[in-house]
Amino acid sequence: MNSHYIDLDDIQGNIVKAYGRFGYPVARYIFFQFHDMDAGRAFIRSLLPLITTSRPWFATTQLPPATTNIAFTYQGLKQLGLPTKSLHSFPEEFSMGMKARGEILGDDNESSPEHWDPVWRNDKRVNMFMSINGQNPAALEARYQEIQDLLKVHTGKVEQLRGHRGEQGDEMEYQDAAAVCIDGQITAKEHFGYTDAISDPYFKGSGSNPANLIGGGKPTRQDPATEEGWEPLETGEFILGYRDETQELPIAPVPRLLSYNGTFMVYRKLHENVGSFNRYIEQVGKDFPGGPEALVAKMSGRWRNGAPTVLFPTQAEADAFIAELEKAREATKTATTAVAKANALAHFNTLRKRLTGFNFNQDIGGTRCPMGSHIRRTNPRGCLEYGVTNAYSTPGALDNRRRLLRRGLPYGKVVDRMLDDGEHGIIFMAIGTSIERQFEFVQQQWINYGNDFKLANQKDPLLGNHDGHGDFMIEGSSPENPPFFCARLPRFVTTRGGEYFFIPSLTAIRMIADNLIDPT
Amino acid sequence: MMGNTVEPTPLTLLCPIKNGAVDEQSYASLTREYLQSLENHDRSPMAAVPNTFLCRFFILNDVFYEGSPAKEDHLQSKYLVFCCNFHGDTETYLRGFWQHAENAIRKIWRYCVAFEEVNDADSFVAYINKCTLKTTYYFNGSTGLPLAEQLKALYLKQEFSQFASDTQGHTPEQLRAAFRHFVARTQPDNLAEPTWRPGQNFLN
Repeated sequence: MNSHYIDLDDIQGNIVKAYGRFGYPVARYIFFQFHDMDAGRAFIRSLLPLITTSRPWFATTQLPPATTNIAFTYQGLKQLGLPTKSLHSFPEEFSMGMKARGEILGDDNESSPEHWDPVWRNDKRVNMFMSINGQNPAALEARYQEIQDLLKVHTGKVEQLRGHRGEQGDEMEYQDAAAVCIDGQITAKEHFGYTDAISDPYFKGSGSNPANLIGGGKPTRQDPATEEGWEPLETGEFILGYRDETQELPIAPVPRLLSYNGTFMVYRKLHENVGSFNRYIEQVGKDFPGGPEALVAKMSGRWRNGAPTVLFPTQAEADAFIAELEKAREATKTATTAVAKANALAHFNTLRKRLTGFNFNQDIGGTRCPMGSHIRRTNPRGCLEYGVTNAYSTPGALDNRRRLLRRGLPYGKVVDRMLDDGEHGIIFMAIGTSIERQFEFVQQQWINYGNDFKLANQKDPLLGNHDGHGDFMIEGSSPENPPFFCARLPRFVTTRGGEYFFIPSLTAIRMIADNLIDPT
Repeated sequence: MMGNTVEPTPLTLLCPIKNGAVDEQSYASLTREYLQSLENHDRSPMAAVPNTFLCRFFILNDVFYEGSPAKEDHLQSKYLVFCCNFHGDTETYLRGFWQHAENAIRKIWRYCVAFEEVNDADSFVAYINKCTLKTTYYFNGSTGLPLAEQLKALYLKQEFSQFASDTQGHTPEQLRAAFRHFVARTQPDNLAEPTWRPGQNFLN
């Protein structure tokens, strides 16, 4: 085995391979409570044959119609009878849970837990998370019914929790999620209209397309448009039991077989206030040079079509690039000979690098991508040295340990784009070996605060927990092009629920089900 | 009866498990699942293997990385590891192993490299010899006397402790009578019974 080997058969799916990249546009997220320990164990034992692993899919014929994965809260592990010593070996943020960490996360005012979906209202109820992703709605429903049949055996002992707000009311028995369709086409858009999920960390052993290294790995000091500009992150940033960026094994629960090949997941239901967003963009954007669409791009750091503002400072350039990229993508599908296909693919991959093959050293002053924009905050791409060469031993010293594997899908539909009401947003899922060091840090320091970007207490314009008073500064480039201040930012994204989960390996699920966890 | 200076014989095996899977469950995982399904103590299939003092199976996933500046290294395979102490010579032990636990052997080793070549006691002994690691330092929990003698000794020790407790304060006559009864009941010279069962870890 080479030194990048990871045990893909033992790691649950949607960690190493993101289902979204394989065409699973619909999903259901289901939560359970165990009222009886033995029934809980028996239920998860019965689920084992349905659990999808990280084994690579090399051909479309290998794709299952639907996938299934599970994860547990601290309370869930306790309900399943994990030994006290093992429970105590979990990190504090995990045992406290998301609600108790609300102050760190900025879940205040309309984002505070009393406003969350009913399923989250009672403490300690949610024990287990299940995700089902389907290639189509029929496959999703079929797998859901399979789960219902397994659940029936434990009526009264294992409860599927209702209480997800949906278009039909507050008592949905699962959280629906689906890619946004526009004109019948499945897209990677979220409800504000941005193309989402472009950058995803690239780590050792993932077996992911090597083209994803560019922009997905950790920065070197070489050209970010080239493979030399990036190195794969260490596996241990995302999966327990492997070397992490400190060159040690991550701190992990005991015994080793409980945590090995496992990881942690943050689940958050984030409502998008599309009315507030669209009104703000229209009102403030009319005064912004470049207009509302340029303002949308400045807030994110990417144009709505996904083109990064660092490389494509004008909308015309961004549109031309994305049109060329789509044409190249189409050519990979229509090529008739093997040679033509290979050429088309090579051309597409070359173009695709421009979506992620950049950093902010090309834009130290933030004149293309503002210092406070969303992508610059949440993924600084090794640019916290602020152009001071060799300030740290590696340019990613301050951000290599803050990377997040993002999974999840949008939910709901926008009925009226000028209204906040209704059920629409993002089911945000972030995976990593330390919720505190990765997700919580990014949320607290980089989204809801600005000091690391020399922006005092300014927040992420899109995701920050604004209260109507905050600013977002868009840097100017010259005396003729002065800074532009977006003032009185309303809250565009509201938390509607969420929790911290542990995603065990297949081995650990089996051992939990069979009561074989022994930390002594 | 042998002198009690006899040492137990140690055996340590590292048997590589094939890199493959059934459906999506790896051979190593299937092996671990089977081992974890086995009963312990006197209900373990190893209790039927003559002269086993103690044994342990486990799966070695990989070598442990100790952190920088240590070099990170990895195994080519996962290994089934078997550690055992027993009485007598290795070949006799292994033949007894095959004879009394063939079904368990076939299930435990089924995913190991080249185990398909094992089909009888001879081939099992040959296979194990190839997988044996020289063992010089091992957990030694007993003498090397035959298991039956050790079990009888443990049984007698426990029974005699109980006898001493039960007869506290007896007159010499009562004590003699009780002891005669004790000897008749416990039959110290009879290794076959009454005694402890192999693997037994508590008094009846």
